[in-house]
Amino acid sequence: MNLSLVDPFVLAQEYPDTLTEKLSSGHATCLSFNHKGDYLASGRVDGTVVIFDIETNGVARKLQGHTRQIQSISWSRDGRYLLTSSQDWKCILWDLQDGSRIRTVRFEAPVYIAQLHPFNHLLFVASLFEDQPVLVDVSSPKPIKRILPSAPLRPTEDIDPATAAKQAAQDAKHSTCVTIFTAFGNHIIAGTSKGWINIIETQTCTTIHSMRLCNGVVILLHLASNGRDLLVNSSDRVIRTVLMPDLSQLGIDLEPASIKLHVEHKFQDVVNRLSWNHVTFSSTGEFVTATTFMNPDIYVWERSHGSLVKILEGPKEELGVVEWHPSRPMVVACGLESGCIYTWSIVSPQKWSALAPDFGEVEENVEYMEAEDEFDVHPAEQVHQRRLDLEDEEPDVVTMDSVKGEDVDGVEPFDVPVLLDVEDSDSGEDVVAVGPGTMRKRTPGARETEEKDKVTNGRKRRR
Amino acid sequence: MSRSNSQIRRREPRDQSPADSSSDELAAGSDHDEAERRRASWTLQKGFTPQRPQKSGRSYSDSESSDELAVDAGEYWRSSRKRNDHRSPSPITRTSSQDGSQRGLNTPQDDDISGPDTQAHDADEWTGRASTPVPPPPPSKPDHLNYKEKFVLRGHLRGVSQVQFSPDCTMIASAGADAAVKIWDTASGRLIHTFEGHLAGVSTLAWAPDGEWIATGSDDKTIRLWNVNTLKAHTKIFDGHHNYIYQIAFAPKGNILVSGSYDEAVFMWDVRRAQVMRSLPAHSDPVAGIDVVHDGTLIASCALDGLIRIWDTHSGQCLRTLVMEDNPPATCVKFSPNGKYVLAWTLDGCVRMWNYVESRVLKTFQGHVNNKYSLSGAFGLYGPSDTKFNVPLCFAVSGSEDGAILFWDIVSKKVLQRLDAHQYAVLSVHTGNLKGKRMVVSCGLDKTIRVFEETGENDAEGDGDSTPVPEARAQNDTPIHDAEGDNAMTDADADVSAVPSTTETPAETPVEEDVTMT
Repeated sequence: MNLSLVDPFVLAQEYPDTLTEKLSSGHATCLSFNHKGDYLASGRVDGTVVIFDIETNGVARKLQGHTRQIQSISWSRDGRYLLTSSQDWKCILWDLQDGSRIRTVRFEAPVYIAQLHPFNHLLFVASLFEDQPVLVDVSSPKPIKRILPSAPLRPTEDIDPATAAKQAAQDAKHSTCVTIFTAFGNHIIAGTSKGWINIIETQTCTTIHSMRLCNGVVILLHLASNGRDLLVNSSDRVIRTVLMPDLSQLGIDLEPASIKLHVEHKFQDVVNRLSWNHVTFSSTGEFVTATTFMNPDIYVWERSHGSLVKILEGPKEELGVVEWHPSRPMVVACGLESGCIYTWSIVSPQKWSALAPDFGEVEENVEYMEAEDEFDVHPAEQVHQRRLDLEDEEPDVVTMDSVKGEDVDGVEPFDVPVLLDVEDSDSGEDVVAVGPGTMRKRTPGARETEEKDKVTNGRKRRR
Repeated sequence: MSRSNSQIRRREPRDQSPADSSSDELAAGSDHDEAERRRASWTLQKGFTPQRPQKSGRSYSDSESSDELAVDAGEYWRSSRKRNDHRSPSPITRTSSQDGSQRGLNTPQDDDISGPDTQAHDADEWTGRASTPVPPPPPSKPDHLNYKEKFVLRGHLRGVSQVQFSPDCTMIASAGADAAVKIWDTASGRLIHTFEGHLAGVSTLAWAPDGEWIATGSDDKTIRLWNVNTLKAHTKIFDGHHNYIYQIAFAPKGNILVSGSYDEAVFMWDVRRAQVMRSLPAHSDPVAGIDVVHDGTLIASCALDGLIRIWDTHSGQCLRTLVMEDNPPATCVKFSPNGKYVLAWTLDGCVRMWNYVESRVLKTFQGHVNNKYSLSGAFGLYGPSDTKFNVPLCFAVSGSEDGAILFWDIVSKKVLQRLDAHQYAVLSVHTGNLKGKRMVVSCGLDKTIRVFEETGENDAEGDGDSTPVPEARAQNDTPIHDAEGDNAMTDADADVSAVPSTTETPAETPVEEDVTMT
């Protein structure tokens, strides 16, 4: 509702410029916004998942269930369910209505990244540490795991047996590091340790296309909201944007054989040869953002020309995961050392004319022309009556305008219930009281203040 | 009742159908020029009023359907010629009552009546329209409301400052100067619980959107939360204002509470932490009114300095300031259901609806008395929900310091109903919808809370037109509901066989339950 009143120049600004907020609740290692952008989930090193309310910057809910560092967080489309994966070899599907665990899925290895199907919150893919990636169906309490292939799809015809054997040996060394769903969830994009990208059909779990993208390990895949742009971070210190074919046309206009992935841009730091900790697209996919290794800066590139437009600065520590708000020009990143979550956004100055309706803001001096009837005196009654007579519109006070961008899929957005005792919902795992008033520090830095808060709260409650 | 009120009330009927206005005129007061105009209207109306019952059915007259072929050819020709003559830009001009009268007697006056388009009428509502009946649009727009008192809830020891329906409307929460917060069952009028804990009178309350919590703001400078399910107080007290809390409102998600105080500040509270999230440097006088728009992006505040400010929730910046030139203290502000307009109560006895984007007053609602207390009201819907109108039928409702509750049509600004409900000033009115029944609840200085329910058309025929005795004030023990003569006909063409409204049915004393609880 505020769009009609907000300064259009502020709205036109596409990327953030100022460090505005510092959220802290434990040592966060991964971040994820829900689709609507009003909640930010963060996973901590101690296995707790903390949901922040972006509107209040407060903690909306804490989820306890993992015992090791959280690796990834994935929201369902409606924002009600949350899938977390952790180094404790588990994935948990949470229901944010009451914070309960719907499913807990155990694996044979630590989970690297898990992602929910875009439309079905009971289906997810997980890539495991030194193990085969799996597609997991949790619609029944007993999860059904299907192993996804890691080996690239080779052309089958006219290869001599020697080469084939060599390739087979090479393929056996492939392991998948990251798997994500395509926009409609019909396919899975997988990145392997040898720098290959595989496109796997979800239905059949067979690879339909493979392409060698780089020499290094594919560390991260990220699909833009339009579903056609793929962002690839790999260990060869180059960020690539890849144009994807429209896979929904597969079988209609597009044959699996004719799939072609086209590398659009390669972003790298030519001088310092920095490697990139984490990369992300902006909400529209127009910008690419990356945090750098051993460096507290966030690089923002613009995609149409491939040029660096902004370096976001502020914190003094190296940053890990970076995420872009799904609709606003707002970037969040978590510090590797302190685990604090930093947010950058746009700060617009207060317009003085908004405070005093009789005043206007002008760029330069304007000579004031007095209107002919400006100081005419009319009887108050008459003025009032005339004003009443002019009120002849037919306003519609009920019908809502449909807001662009909101519930485009007809999904009812879910609001996390407001818990008035979030701190109490902590089972106390992160507060370890050594003696009266003294806390054992598990993590340095910002955590301390939070714990102090808790002590005072606890005292108040006891009183 | 004050003079001005009765005048406005009396002016209303003339805007309605000829039949029912005449009934009112008979019993109306003695103001001289009023009488003059009335006489003029009389002479006009006399001619065709009696024709009304004889008019042939409305099925063809207000629809241009093939039914028309079935009627007498002469009549059809006459009416269709008229249709062509007028070339009215909107299809709304023709109505059954009009057609009926025209068919009976095709006088030049009739041409004058049906000539101008309905929209044009609005402009000269106060002058030219006085003698001409207004043709209601084809899906006939009810010209009055018929809320009837259902319960009187007693229990507060002092004046009741605010009442509000719970989000699902099953409960009513009330806050009073006796520092008590009470919740009542809407369906039975039973007292469910009394929350005690505030150290001074409670001025304001707000239901959390999930219906589990009530927030109350008090003269003890604190805001407290009460759980309706467990009937316990929240352990955290929202402490931070330096003076009385004047009004509070929840953001639609329930995560933010906004409060206005006598300390001239607007605070945004993080409800979860019970801490001030942001303080808006708002006003230079006590902040009397607070509201949050349905999507939570805007906050409206108003203060006794006469300014109404619109704030951006996210940035905390003021986006607009609305003010009338002589700065009447603004005491309450409410966003419209779609959030495009704000309704503001000012102590010059007006409720104004602003288009806040253009900083322009769209409508001024008058007729109530308001120069001392902070009254608050609400928007509400009326009319059949299935019928399609140009704009949905919506009313604004407010209390009055003379004990009445007034319902105004948003578009025409006409008083749709006047309930003489309370003995003293009506401080707060709220609308709700319980299982399809439209409800209104009000409270006032007479320590009572009254619940009203919209009654159907049939009931309305019966008790709609009592003798208009505006001065007959409803004493709070035996509420007289309907001291109002305006609503003689429920609906201009809802029922063709309706008795002409000139016949008076005696006012029924409605069956009411008077629930007293301590």
